[in-house]
Amino acid sequence: MATKTHEPVIGDGSLHIGDRVVYPNQGICRITGVETKQIAGQNWEVVTLSREEDGATVMVPKGKVMGIGLRKVADVAAIERVFDELAIPNTDPQLDWKVRHRENADRMSGGGLFGTVEVLKGLHALSRVRPLPQKERELYDNARHLLVGEIAAAMNIPLHVAEDNLDYALWPPPGMTRKGRPLPPATLGPPSPTRPAAEDEDLGLEDEELGGTEEAVAPAANVTVVEEEQPAPPAAHKAAADKEKSKSPHRPPKPALAKKARPAAAKKAAPAKKAAARKSAPAAKKAIPKKPAGKAKAKGKR
Amino acid sequence: MIRIVTLSEFPPDVIDFVTRRLHAAYGMGCELEGEGEIPADALDDEQSAYDAVKVVDEMDDDVTLYADDKIVYLTNEPLTAPPGPMGRGPVDGYAQYGGGKALVTAHGLPDKGLPLEVGLAKRAAHYVGHLWDLHHCFDPRCAMHPGWSPGFATYPEVALCLFDREKSERKIKLGSS
Repeated sequence: MATKTHEPVIGDGSLHIGDRVVYPNQGICRITGVETKQIAGQNWEVVTLSREEDGATVMVPKGKVMGIGLRKVADVAAIERVFDELAIPNTDPQLDWKVRHRENADRMSGGGLFGTVEVLKGLHALSRVRPLPQKERELYDNARHLLVGEIAAAMNIPLHVAEDNLDYALWPPPGMTRKGRPLPPATLGPPSPTRPAAEDEDLGLEDEELGGTEEAVAPAANVTVVEEEQPAPPAAHKAAADKEKSKSPHRPPKPALAKKARPAAAKKAAPAKKAAARKSAPAAKKAIPKKPAGKAKAKGKR
Repeated sequence: MIRIVTLSEFPPDVIDFVTRRLHAAYGMGCELEGEGEIPADALDDEQSAYDAVKVVDEMDDDVTLYADDKIVYLTNEPLTAPPGPMGRGPVDGYAQYGGGKALVTAHGLPDKGLPLEVGLAKRAAHYVGHLWDLHHCFDPRCAMHPGWSPGFATYPEVALCLFDREKSERKIKLGSS
């Protein structure tokens, strides 16, 4: 009599070995099995997953599978609803950074498909008003990466086609429609200020913390207006590009208006520099008499 | 190394400009590898454009790709892509995300009001970015901004935004190691 092999129950029983699942913040994984691992002297039953993107192995304790938000890849109907949602323009981004940060963190850790869509859509809408700070730029890229991966997996299309379709909804090209309804064509957004990498390491939220949200928006809008008013004529493009050759071509040219983009930060930086100069001056004076003292000590030791 | 293979005829100064711009954008060597032929059976059902995915998949070439090598095919032919949830939209190239091959077309560039070499270099930089796992960027100045948006022609410089430049540098370092 043949013995019937029992497939282990994973989560609430809806997941099986070989299923493609979405791991929150990690992307598409495939369940490869259930193993018993000895960790800190205890035997743990873990579900092993293989991340499709790079083949990395993820191990999740069996009892926590549902708690961490592991779920099956969305079906085609859900993806269609995602595109319905994306095609509705969001003109009201959350401007309060504290609320935005909390909401986005909750949505991403939840791992839901529509949570990721809302994060992407909200940050996309905000990017139309002003450039995103570094941390939110990373979150935007992460949300986009997860969504593109899931759309491609659900629809069985290449990643590139999935991302293009995502942006046909977010940045509709002229003539694009969704279920027969024409979508408003994309308009030009504000360009990001080109700043050295060192300045970008903070959250870029100081302006908002000080209640300078509206002030922070204004310079970005100014940059856009100036750029839109004075577009380089096509004939001048080649000359401009040739001129670039002589300059460092790797780094985009610093715009003349870059300084205007962060007035609050610039104002803060100026007194801070003065204060630092004042502090360093006496320190330098003090440092001079220390030298002979050091020498004397050294002599004494000898 | 970024290797360029032409599938249509391009003036040498255009190819020279594209290689220089790609080198500047990614800090990698870029050279013209040679010429190739677009697979005839990659034409779509309506026989009006080439299926970009098929062209890249069926391309028969003897270019050897090493760890961090990327190959970019340049053509003048109109391209199309499989329909997605939004239907069909403008297609100016195709790239295997995180892979080694990309296809870029110069078709439709005259309508954008950009010189051929500038438009082609910007598109090539965009698709090489996808080969390094870069996604589309909202910054209209960035080469990773979608090609159909107004920012493509408004900002002709072939450059990446700070975020994408750092991300590509990280990926290139990992690739070369």
